[in-house]
Amino acid sequence: MAAAAAQKVQEVREVTRIERIGAHSHIRGLGLDDALEARQVSQGMVGQTAARRAAGVILEMIKEGKIAGRAILIAGQPGTGKTAIAMGMAQALGQDTPFTAMAGSEIFSLEMGKTEALTQAFRKSIGVRIKEETEIIEGEVVEIQIDRPATGTGAKVGKLTLKTTEMETIYDLGQKMIESLTKEKVQAGDIITIDKATGKITRLGRSFTRARDYDAMGPQTKFVQCPEGELQKRKEVVHTVTLHEIDVINSRTQGFLALFSGDTGEIKTEVREQINAKVAEWREEGKAEIVPGVLFIDEVHMLDIECFSFLNRALESDMAPVLIMATNRGITRIRGTNYMSPHGIPIDLLDRLLIISTSPYEEKEIKQILKIRCEEEDVEMTEDALTVLTRIGMETSLRYSIQIITAAALVSRKRKGTEVSVDDIKRVYSLFMDESRSTQFLKEYQQEFMFNELGVDTEQMETS
Amino acid sequence: MCEDTINNMASKWVETLREAEKTSIIQDGRRKIHFTLKDGTELAEEYDTRNNELVVRKWRKKSTLGSQGKWDFEVGEQLAPRNLDAEGLMESTSNPIFVRTDTKKAFQWRIRNLPYPIETYDVRVDAENRCVIIRTTNKKYYKKFTIPDMDRAALPLSQSSLSVAYANNTLILNYEKPKEILAQEKILQEEFKKMKAAKDGDVECNPS
Repeated sequence: MAAAAAQKVQEVREVTRIERIGAHSHIRGLGLDDALEARQVSQGMVGQTAARRAAGVILEMIKEGKIAGRAILIAGQPGTGKTAIAMGMAQALGQDTPFTAMAGSEIFSLEMGKTEALTQAFRKSIGVRIKEETEIIEGEVVEIQIDRPATGTGAKVGKLTLKTTEMETIYDLGQKMIESLTKEKVQAGDIITIDKATGKITRLGRSFTRARDYDAMGPQTKFVQCPEGELQKRKEVVHTVTLHEIDVINSRTQGFLALFSGDTGEIKTEVREQINAKVAEWREEGKAEIVPGVLFIDEVHMLDIECFSFLNRALESDMAPVLIMATNRGITRIRGTNYMSPHGIPIDLLDRLLIISTSPYEEKEIKQILKIRCEEEDVEMTEDALTVLTRIGMETSLRYSIQIITAAALVSRKRKGTEVSVDDIKRVYSLFMDESRSTQFLKEYQQEFMFNELGVDTEQMETS
Repeated sequence: MCEDTINNMASKWVETLREAEKTSIIQDGRRKIHFTLKDGTELAEEYDTRNNELVVRKWRKKSTLGSQGKWDFEVGEQLAPRNLDAEGLMESTSNPIFVRTDTKKAFQWRIRNLPYPIETYDVRVDAENRCVIIRTTNKKYYKKFTIPDMDRAALPLSQSSLSVAYANNTLILNYEKPKEILAQEKILQEEFKKMKAAKDGDVECNPS
């Protein structure tokens, strides 16, 4: 009995997979209408109408796919929605356009050259739509049986029986396949296809022979014929792969050395040249189509002068994606030099950019954003509390007030309240300091902290 | 005229193999030959050294994107253990297993794990689509397959060459090799004999 109960708990946990809430998970698009006019509040986006319109124009340019190697810079103070705009663009582009997001500091690694990391990022953002022959299994599910081990933990064992009008076959299932079958909620009577190479499962519909089972039938339930002939078929499918993926496939060491090639490391220039030639050939023959995507580099001021000069050159290639960069710096030093430049980017690169600037949010907008975040995090808040929080947001920063939401929700839950009240906000506000209060505190009590006995001049601290 | 073209087609296959890059080794009583054809496709054959019977013939082709595929068995079967978790899903071992095992005089297919009596099966040659189809009246098993050797030699298929037997849960199909195929195999065997084969453990290098 107890064991059965335990099993039930596990089952529940598996079905409702918790999706974690990130800083930008409330963003579902740019929130523009058909004329590219920005709606005040839409798809999780609030305010920044000019910047969003500009982003919308860029988006149209990307969708047309004709222009290669354009670069856009989104500049603005911290917490004005630069990353949010980039995420919105990614969402609006959809599944088939490659979108690579990286931070400027990501390229500094000891294992890989800076330019190699950038080249890989560039090539990850160019898609190739190509026809490939794959083996698929297509049939009607007769029976699906997944056994959990008696102890409740450990590997599951599964069997799947598929049939066509002519034959029937039993398949043994691996862990991943069991998971994806459960996720797709595949059950007896469904007609499914399984891509053998990728393991992707597609539900085509319910079998006509099951049409009399009236249970579990929604308006979308489609009835299809049971497939004929053999279960395994060869079929041509069109899919999008990135240039980087083709690079990796072709640069793997062959033979037993493949055992040691866990990660890709640097890819040889010759391999890349070969692949470029091959892709160009496919394109001419009409076998493949290039899908230029988007590379987004956040905190772009972290790149140094070498990277910028590489970017200058790389943007000229006809295989370059649309590059979107974001920075929150004003006039600052270009990394790796002693020159000052706007946004920490050399003038010659700046000259090639279209610059979109974001401005600080107004009180109304901050309130709206906080409201959206409350919804995203499933937090109920009283109107007064929201007003107080908005004031905090105005005086400190948007990020700080967003963080208070989560903490205040916890505090109110602990006192068994249903809504977050002004008191909860006050409590959290006194518990956690924001940046300006913390600075104030440090200024007052600097002398009591470590290493201040020597009276080092703190003003000389290197922060860039 | 007709005879002539047929001979031409047959020799085309011999020619393809002649042009391919070959390596050969004699190991475990088998002559193993590896061909790399002009288009990059790999072909590996294994012959029993005692009677020169073909035991294994497998193909490997690079995918469009350049990744190395798996060996595709035309004759013989994969004996290496398979990893279920790496594959995702694979046919259960309780299913019918379809293997081609040739003899000197005939192409032969054995389908093991078929528990149904012989009258269940309906084996027919589809000459038009150049394939053989096995059907079962209880709709449990269906297989459509080609005879690549006949395709390569561009010979027509005929129902009369095909015979069916059933014993020990195994369905055995025999398709008699036509004389063109026999002649071609003879030529190839002569070629293989001429090839220098490395003995197992031999190192092809002269220490100076």
